[in-house]
Amino acid sequence: MTVPVRQKESWSLRLYAWLLELYPPAFLQRHRAEMLQNFADLEDAAPSKAKLWVLIGKDLTMSLILQFFGSRLGRYVISVLVVWILIFTVGYLRGGSTPGHPVLHVFGGFLPGMLATYIAMRLYGTPQHSSQIIYVIGVLGALAGFAWIVLFLIGHFPNGSAPAVRNPALQVFGGFLLGMLSMYIATHVYGMPENSSRA
Amino acid sequence: MNASTAPLPLTPAVFHILLALFGRERHGYDIMQQVKADSGDAVKMGPGTLYGSLDRMIEAGLVAKGDTQDPRRIYYRLTALGRSTLRAETERLSRVALVARRQLGSA
Repeated sequence: MTVPVRQKESWSLRLYAWLLELYPPAFLQRHRAEMLQNFADLEDAAPSKAKLWVLIGKDLTMSLILQFFGSRLGRYVISVLVVWILIFTVGYLRGGSTPGHPVLHVFGGFLPGMLATYIAMRLYGTPQHSSQIIYVIGVLGALAGFAWIVLFLIGHFPNGSAPAVRNPALQVFGGFLLGMLSMYIATHVYGMPENSSRA
Repeated sequence: MNASTAPLPLTPAVFHILLALFGRERHGYDIMQQVKADSGDAVKMGPGTLYGSLDRMIEAGLVAKGDTQDPRRIYYRLTALGRSTLRAETERLSRVALVARRQLGSA
C-alpha cells in the first residue's frame, strides 16, 4: 500500500483505509493510493473530525451504492429484492399478516442472508482455489438445505400433526442461510461488482 | 445533442469536474477544492464520488490521465470532447437561465 505523504498516520486514516476495502478490488487497484492521500489532505484541512466524517460518511454511502448497483451483481440483487417485495406484498394483501405463510418468512430471511455474504466477501475476499470453492459451497449448501427443510417442516408440523406453522423466526433463519448460499453462487457466476459504465 | 459532445444534460458532479479541469491539469484533491470553490460550497465531493465520476468520464472520453509517476498524485486533464461538452452544457444552462429570468421577470 502506498502511504500518503504526511508525518503521522492517524486513527481516522487507518479507519478510512479499512473502510476502503468495501469498494470493488479493481476500483481500489486504480485509486487506493490517491484516495488515501486525498483523505490525509482533507483531514489536515478539516476544521473538525466530526465535519470530516460527515463528508466521508455521505461520500462512502453514495459512491458504494452507485458502485454496487451499477454492476451485474447489483442488478441481480435488485431483481431478487423486487421479487421479494412483490411476493411479500401479494401475500400480505391476500392473507393479511404472515402467520400461515412459511414461504414468506423464508424470503424474509433470504435478503439479509445475501447482504451478509456480500459484506463478508468484500471484507475477507472470495476463496480463490476450486477446492476451497467446492468446500465452501458444499458446507453452505448442506447447512442451508438441511436447515431449510427442517425448519420448514417444523413450521408446518409443530406437533407432528397437521400443518400449523408456528415458528416464523426459524423459517426466517432458514431463508437467511439460503440467501447466503444464493449470493455466494451469484458472486462466482457474475463476479464481484466493478465500475458502472454510465457517465 | 451534438455528435461532438457527450449526452446532455450532465450531472452537477460531472459538470463541475469538467469546469475545474478547464485550462489546467489537476490532481484529485485539487479538483475537489476547485469544485467546492466554483460552486460556492454547494457541491462538496468526497474521494469516492470523485474517482467514481472520473472513471466514468475517462470511459466516456471526456477526461484523460496526465503523465504522472506518483500513484498518490495522478493528474487529470480535459480531452477535446470534454472541452466541447463543457461548452455545450454551459450554453444549455445559459439558455435555461435566460428562460427562467424571463418567466420570473414577467410573474
